[in-house]
Amino acid sequence: MSKKKYGSTFVDVLKTLFLGQKRTTLSILEEEQVQSPYKTMLRNFQEKWSAMLGVYIFLIIFLLVFLLPIFFPMDIQFQDPTQKNTKPTFAYMKYPSKLKNSVASIDGGSVFGVGVDQQGKLYQWGTLTKKLKELPPDNIRYTQVSAGLDHALAIDINGKVHTWGNDRFTLNMIPAQLNSKKAKQVIAGHQISLALTESGEVFVWGNTNLITIPVPQEKQGTFTKIAANTTLAVALTNKNEVVVFSSKETPFSYIPAEIQGKVIDIAITERSAAAVTTTGEIVVWGGDDYDIKTVPSNAQGKGVQITAGRGHFTALLNDGTVASWGRDNYKQARSPRLKNIVEVQSAYFQNYAIDDKGNIFTWGLKGYLMGTDQYGRDLFSRLLSGGRVTLTIGAIAVIISGFIGIVIGSFSGYYGGKMDMFLMRVAEVVSAIPFLPLAMILSAIIGSKISETGRISMIMVILGLLSWPSLARLVRGQILAAREQEFVTAAKAIGITEMKVIFKHILPNVITVVLVNLTLSFALSMLYESSLSYLGFGVNEPNATWGNMLYGCNDSTVMSQYWWRWVFPSIALSLTTVSINMAGDGMRDAIDPKSNDR
Amino acid sequence: MLKYVLKRLGYIVVVFLIASVLLFTLYKSVPGDPARLMLEGNKASMKPAEYEARYQDAVKKLGLDKPVIVQYFTWLFNTLRGDFGYSLTYKMPVKQMIGVPMKNTIMLNVWSLIPVFAITLPLGIATAVRRGTRFDSSVQVITIIGYSLPFFVIALLFIFLFAVKMPIFPISGVQTPGLRGTPLKMFFNKMYHMALPLLVMVFTSLGGLTRYVRATMIEALRMDYIRTARAKGLTEKVVIYSHAFRNALIPFITIMTGWFISIFSGSVVIERTFLWNGMGKVIIDALNQQDFAVSLALVMFYLVLSLIGNLLMDLSYGLADPRVKLD
Repeated sequence: MSKKKYGSTFVDVLKTLFLGQKRTTLSILEEEQVQSPYKTMLRNFQEKWSAMLGVYIFLIIFLLVFLLPIFFPMDIQFQDPTQKNTKPTFAYMKYPSKLKNSVASIDGGSVFGVGVDQQGKLYQWGTLTKKLKELPPDNIRYTQVSAGLDHALAIDINGKVHTWGNDRFTLNMIPAQLNSKKAKQVIAGHQISLALTESGEVFVWGNTNLITIPVPQEKQGTFTKIAANTTLAVALTNKNEVVVFSSKETPFSYIPAEIQGKVIDIAITERSAAAVTTTGEIVVWGGDDYDIKTVPSNAQGKGVQITAGRGHFTALLNDGTVASWGRDNYKQARSPRLKNIVEVQSAYFQNYAIDDKGNIFTWGLKGYLMGTDQYGRDLFSRLLSGGRVTLTIGAIAVIISGFIGIVIGSFSGYYGGKMDMFLMRVAEVVSAIPFLPLAMILSAIIGSKISETGRISMIMVILGLLSWPSLARLVRGQILAAREQEFVTAAKAIGITEMKVIFKHILPNVITVVLVNLTLSFALSMLYESSLSYLGFGVNEPNATWGNMLYGCNDSTVMSQYWWRWVFPSIALSLTTVSINMAGDGMRDAIDPKSNDR
Repeated sequence: MLKYVLKRLGYIVVVFLIASVLLFTLYKSVPGDPARLMLEGNKASMKPAEYEARYQDAVKKLGLDKPVIVQYFTWLFNTLRGDFGYSLTYKMPVKQMIGVPMKNTIMLNVWSLIPVFAITLPLGIATAVRRGTRFDSSVQVITIIGYSLPFFVIALLFIFLFAVKMPIFPISGVQTPGLRGTPLKMFFNKMYHMALPLLVMVFTSLGGLTRYVRATMIEALRMDYIRTARAKGLTEKVVIYSHAFRNALIPFITIMTGWFISIFSGSVVIERTFLWNGMGKVIIDALNQQDFAVSLALVMFYLVLSLIGNLLMDLSYGLADPRVKLD
């Protein structure tokens, strides 16, 4: 066997790309060796570095888009406003190393974290807004911190409350009554702040238009611990009873009666609440999403402390280990095997555990590879799933248009006469109307009657039905030339049916040209699909395609501040279409007999 | 020749009729009652009896009480007469409504023609003449990239570079809202707003057109008459620009037909991205507002334009190349 031709491997393509073309000298026998036409085409194709590069890039994208979603599945209905428009980073839980071994208090916010060390110094990490970066004065010793959606709270050594970050909705106005009292616990919530004083009173301030947390006045002075989510708060009294701060009946109100008077710790997620009793029992009530009511069997009866994120609970057990359960979309319910833990803290999608030596362990949401969009959805998984949709629509549209084009072109070219006249008039009508407006009208009229998933198939069919004329004309031309050749006359003379003559004898002779055309129109179909989706007439939310991920991105805020939202889909789409066109162009050159002229 | 033209005109009529039946069927299959849509805005302020009377009026005015076949012919004749119907969203006849957008679209497209041809013709010729050189292959790769990139990606990139990072041009719009001044000032303001869409439009057309010029040029340079011209001892300049280029221009007519239509229809994507008040945006707005009468009338208009364009194309082939026989 002869050794591999230069330019046929990926390494060769890279070499040619960066080091320039290498000319291989061949002996006269090699140079003039006889090859079958297909072999010549293949050789021509492989010798063109741009074509090979196109093939490799497309294969890589294809594999990524079809294999990676197995590991990064997309929940199509998922939305989370607390995670919206966050930039690409993996630093949500990357606490500073100085905090290690001397952590006094730690808490996670929506996309950031705050902590205070034993010397009373504040630390912040993750994605911080401009206002969050303005920390309170550092000449005060702080003892406790809490992080919320976009603001944070801290208590100093004198029990005074400090707030920074988002200062709208009166978040920066700490109630005057609180200033005269010593705070014991603070909670920064969803545009709301809560503080519990040493005297057992709870104060609430912040955006009260969004959430109202009514504190029962008759119980003021008895509270020992509070917990809050984005809609309400619960508290523990000095009689170890649970009180829900809510003006209306919610699933949280159905507190199991048998635990009242025995509760030592409470925590709430968005939909359910959990309590730890004096006997270590863990009781969950409220909504039962994500199997949250199924407390792990190894944790039951051993609970010491409990904390909660938006959809999961983490409990500290009396043997120094931890257990997490509930929603696991960011791996926040997969607690590592830990021992000698003395404290746990969970918030949003993050978990922190501190052991007796002061080591900090984290699990949960580290961040996003490509950031998130306006609904808080992970762009990376949407990009993968969108790529799958875009590639599938392009491929099926090409198959449809290829089928129609080949059949109509063949009949038109072979039979000629009236049939040719009629079919070519039809082709003329279809190709005469500007493509995008017609596709948009069809999509708007048909699409109003069908479901979102039905729309995907509809777009495939529309694109297929509108893009066949060019192929039909090409096939017709090729068949016109081929039908007068001897082999066709011979085939007819043997008495083979006309169908067989067309599709078994003539078509294989023109198939290379057709394949090139199909490759190029694959890229074109993808472009049309993404243009339609970009304009809002293709595949719509919540389904993702590379086109509709760019819908609404021609906005100056998105362009300048949320660059990841348009940069990544644009790159993916462009790279794919460029690589397909490079490969298609190489194919066209390879099958062109004139390109072998010397 | 005359016979050919008459035959083609006959085809045009047939094609137009087929298309009009198809489009009208589409229009009729639209969910919703256009007469009710027409009254949607002031439904709340009317008594039921008055609403009913107004509704009947609207039905009569839109001709919805007549049989479908009559409705079709009324619609067809109205469209042919240039009466494109009544826009439900703009509350005025379509013909009156599309005046300004049409002017904007034509302006944008005509202005983009000049730089596009000024760049693509020399570049295409140069790459064809220097075929196979490093210059040619790099231009080839760049043009593939150029025509493979989606319009909106290029538009977003240009907005980011020239309107956000370096705020030279306005991000969108046709002119500064509420601006009043001398006609000259208005003109410059409009040009200033047009700069970025124009830039994108030129940029997106470069790749495909350069490749097209190159391909036709290569085809022409292979011909025997080029060999003859060279054998006569003509300078390379004369061979290329006089002998080859003139013949390479013939397939160019095909491209011009495409332009002819897009001058009136505009680019939907570019007009949407830059909020340029042109024909493309009219179609999008009409569809978003369920104003199907407008969009279908426009499609009919484009259909006629492109059929006439095709005829002109074939006729000019005959004019440009005496070897082409029309029959």
